[in-house]
Amino acid sequence: MIALLAVLALAAGACSNAKEKDSGSGGSGSGGGSTEVIDQPGVTADTIRVGGVASITNPLNAPYGDIFEGVKAYFAMVNANGGIDGRDLEVVSERDDQIANNLREVEGLLSQDDVFAALGMATIFDFSGADALAEAGTPTFGWNINEDWTGKPNLFGNVGALCIGCTGIELPWVAQELGKTKIGVMAYGVANSKSCAEGIRDSFEEFPSAEIGFYSDSLAFGTADFSVEVGKMKDAGVDFVTTCMDTNAVLSVAKEMRQQGLDAIQYLPNGYDQEFMAANGEFFEGSIVRVPFAPYETKPRPEGLQEYLQWMKKQGITPNEYTTYGWINAAMFVEGLKAAGPEFTQQKVVDALNEMTDDTVGGILAGIDWTTEHDDTMPPETCGAYVVVKDGEFVSEFVPKGKAFVCHQRSDDLAADPTFK
Amino acid sequence: MTDLLTYVIQGIPFGCVFALVAIGLVLTYKTSGVFNLAFGAQAFLSAAVYYDVRVRHAWPMVPAFVLAVLVVSPLVGLLLERLIFRHLRTASPVAKLVAALGLLVAVPQIVQIWLGKGPTFGIVGVWSDDNALYRFGDFVVDGREMAVFVCTAVGVVALWALFRFAPVGLRMRAVVESPRMTELAGVNADRVSASAWMLSSFFAGLAGVLVAPFYASLSPTDFTTLLVAAIAAAAFARLTSIPLALVGGILLGISQGLMAGYLPPASLLARNLRPTLPFLALFLLLLFWPGLRTAIQSKDPLAGVDPPPLPPAAEERGRFLTIGTRVFGVAVLGVLVVCSLTVFSSYWLLIFTQAAIFATIFLSITVITGMGGQVSLSQATFAGIGAFATAQIVDTWGLGVLPTLLVGAALAAAVGALLAIPALRLGGVFLSLATLAFALMFESVFVPLDWVGGGIRPLRVPRPAGLNDDKMFFLFCVLVLAAVAGLVVLIRKGTTGRFLDALRGSDVAAQSIGINPARARILAFAVSAGIAGLGGGLLATQKGIAQPADFGFFFSLFFVVVVVTLGARTVEGAISAGLGIMLMPEILKWAGLSPSWQFVLFGLGAITYARHPEGVLESNKRRSLAFVERRLPRRWRGPGGSGAPPGAAPAADAGALPPVAAAHVRGGSIGDKLGGT
Repeated sequence: MIALLAVLALAAGACSNAKEKDSGSGGSGSGGGSTEVIDQPGVTADTIRVGGVASITNPLNAPYGDIFEGVKAYFAMVNANGGIDGRDLEVVSERDDQIANNLREVEGLLSQDDVFAALGMATIFDFSGADALAEAGTPTFGWNINEDWTGKPNLFGNVGALCIGCTGIELPWVAQELGKTKIGVMAYGVANSKSCAEGIRDSFEEFPSAEIGFYSDSLAFGTADFSVEVGKMKDAGVDFVTTCMDTNAVLSVAKEMRQQGLDAIQYLPNGYDQEFMAANGEFFEGSIVRVPFAPYETKPRPEGLQEYLQWMKKQGITPNEYTTYGWINAAMFVEGLKAAGPEFTQQKVVDALNEMTDDTVGGILAGIDWTTEHDDTMPPETCGAYVVVKDGEFVSEFVPKGKAFVCHQRSDDLAADPTFK
Repeated sequence: MTDLLTYVIQGIPFGCVFALVAIGLVLTYKTSGVFNLAFGAQAFLSAAVYYDVRVRHAWPMVPAFVLAVLVVSPLVGLLLERLIFRHLRTASPVAKLVAALGLLVAVPQIVQIWLGKGPTFGIVGVWSDDNALYRFGDFVVDGREMAVFVCTAVGVVALWALFRFAPVGLRMRAVVESPRMTELAGVNADRVSASAWMLSSFFAGLAGVLVAPFYASLSPTDFTTLLVAAIAAAAFARLTSIPLALVGGILLGISQGLMAGYLPPASLLARNLRPTLPFLALFLLLLFWPGLRTAIQSKDPLAGVDPPPLPPAAEERGRFLTIGTRVFGVAVLGVLVVCSLTVFSSYWLLIFTQAAIFATIFLSITVITGMGGQVSLSQATFAGIGAFATAQIVDTWGLGVLPTLLVGAALAAAVGALLAIPALRLGGVFLSLATLAFALMFESVFVPLDWVGGGIRPLRVPRPAGLNDDKMFFLFCVLVLAAVAGLVVLIRKGTTGRFLDALRGSDVAAQSIGINPARARILAFAVSAGIAGLGGGLLATQKGIAQPADFGFFFSLFFVVVVVTLGARTVEGAISAGLGIMLMPEILKWAGLSPSWQFVLFGLGAITYARHPEGVLESNKRRSLAFVERRLPRRWRGPGGSGAPPGAAPAADAGALPPVAAAHVRGGSIGDKLGGT
């Protein structure tokens, strides 16, 4: 009986707040001012509403939800400067998909929250709502970490579409620059991690700057004991260890390397975490971290990065990887809005962004060509920023002053000099 | 130093941690009969307390250790014993397991809510300097490993001394050897049990604090993995021998070291065997370890057994109430369906569609747990088998989705039957552990394979032809649910259901009247797995994607907890559980609480299973029925309609009879179906 009453109460609530996704609040807003009346979801006379879905609650306790803080900081900056054509930008919903409820929360975002765009999408294991967002045509911005972002023209990740397992010159070039000769590759036996390791192995076969001295893609997720692997790497003379694993694992590997006296550094594709490095920097001295945006340590900082750090400080938020993604998401969205003009629609925003060929969001990114980078093929030019760990802090590496990114053409070989951005 | 010796030594530190948890498991099991699945959660709790005071509040090491390991851990053990498990002493092993399962689901969530969001970096251990290196010949250990060696050695010696010299230790040892003889000798079993819980909980806390610095941040997942490895070590010890638990834990650690050392690191064998070693070891030990088999067979004949299930309230009410309730139920269902098709937003339509799908999956638990009296911890895995099979077959052979859903269900049923053939010999807690091991093996070995989980690209699953419209698909899911519910009712009322009812009460009695327990249970297991597979296929079709995140082993645990909390014995219970799992997050959001609270609420709800094995819903229904019938004229009351409180059925009530007799009275059929046996 109690259950039935609960069902009835909720059903009544559901019936009363039903709102179909096609029915925008449109021009029925409060009106006023000189703003155009726009018949779009989430747009009123004085506000543009957005929302997002992130794995706020997750077993790793990772701060994925911080992505919304980055979005809000950017919106605070825009609103302080008068908003977009007199409309303030507002984050009205921050949904938590708890890893496996993505479709449900995306559907809620689309049909319950009355939003113009989805920002701060940060889901790692489940982005089953991607198709719903694509179908709705909602401009969507987030942290691109899986294949679901691929091939959907209204989905804009913090980087272009991913190609997990593709070969590239970047890592062999880094090894060459550092004079490393023996590579150790370690990965979990799960699909993404394994594919990443295969990509690294194949990259060194295609660009043989160093030899693969140890390769394992059979580790159990959650493993914390790498003593045997490190022992084997030591025997093989490995001097450059690259992993496709999480922070737990790279820390365990680093501690074991120190314990066994393996004189090597690590390459960390996911290690740009100031808090993590402050706690564990002593184990990563000299290690190289790849950063998908201009590192905070870039000198002089590009304009977009300066604004970002300034507004994070103003908002009282400690910047991290996820707040940066949120800022990038918001900046892209605003670029699209502005380019779409005063009579903007969701489709116009998407179209405007998809015409951009060098989207750098104020120099924070190396530049995304949205005419091609929704596909999971390697773009003609690939860029990455690198920092090295020194005394528990990050220091920009490989780039001349004023530059953040090392870029390689697809056709480059190891002898070719990279360009810098 | 030879490679062999190196690999052996390198495996010992983690082996010691496995051993500490295994010792705690054995202690608890032997003194209270509880297989404490919440041990990993208790280790996580102590590690979190230690982290909080040591790192966040900068306490010195000794007081932090005293608080986390010597105060909080035993206190938690004492509370669990006093508040929960003491009251389950005569409960069935399944009831005890379900209570522990509830804690396993609830406690880590409570700890995470308390810890707050954000990473917990900078974990420190219980050594003066975790990173100090100590050289012993060619072998180097760091502070963390030294702490493990020293604490394990001290812990084991202290345990030996306690058992050898202290009166409480001697009593505990006596209980371990023979609980009933000890009670006959006048030992206060409650006090011994409380002491054992505190002691075993201390070992969980010690293991948690020792293992935490091996990770970058605290995550409950790591502690669950630790628990499963420790279960394997405890199984090696036949759940009875503390020295063997120590040996088992260390052997497991060494095996991991040897496997890492000798298997080619990129080989297929390494890829499949290494991640799954603890689960595989557990599975094989459960099935083939002679010592464990003996322990299972020689279980105490006086130990608690499932009481005969009371008949559902629906069978006790009068015709008037039955008609009224059914009309009301159909009306509510009708309103929901009409609302879904007319005024609900796409969001609410999705919620009710998924509720129907989850209810379908939960009916599989109605069959295996509600009817069969066994707890399977791999129902989400069977759902995953159905989902992946559906996706792969549609993708590879282009078959229609509808027939493929049935193929997926059939495949899940076949796997379920294959698993049941060896596993059902175990029964009770051991069957549950075997299913847990199977779920973890499937997740570690099969899901990563491209031809199962799809690899890096998510597996797409289209909707069945003509059901692309969400409303039509919702109706389809409701129809599937109705069909499966009908099937479950038919099974319950048919021969298999009666057989299972009889087996639930007493295997021996059931066999004496000609019931083949293996056949009945394998059938139930296969049907249950098939239903879960069908539900999994439906879920994948609804989402448009078959992904591992939906079918992780944690969901198997959570599904059981939700269903047994609300009612595992009736179709209504499964439907309520389907609605509950979808609506609870909405209620929590409305109350301004994190959705994580649903795990806490359902987890703690499962603890009531021993008192209300019929579930909260059925229990309330019985109470409501008694309340209503007291106010009805006598002629409108049902056969049990004295208006007495639940569980106090009159002597003539079929529910008060042993199951076989009850089945005879209610159905009048067992004797007939056995040809007058």
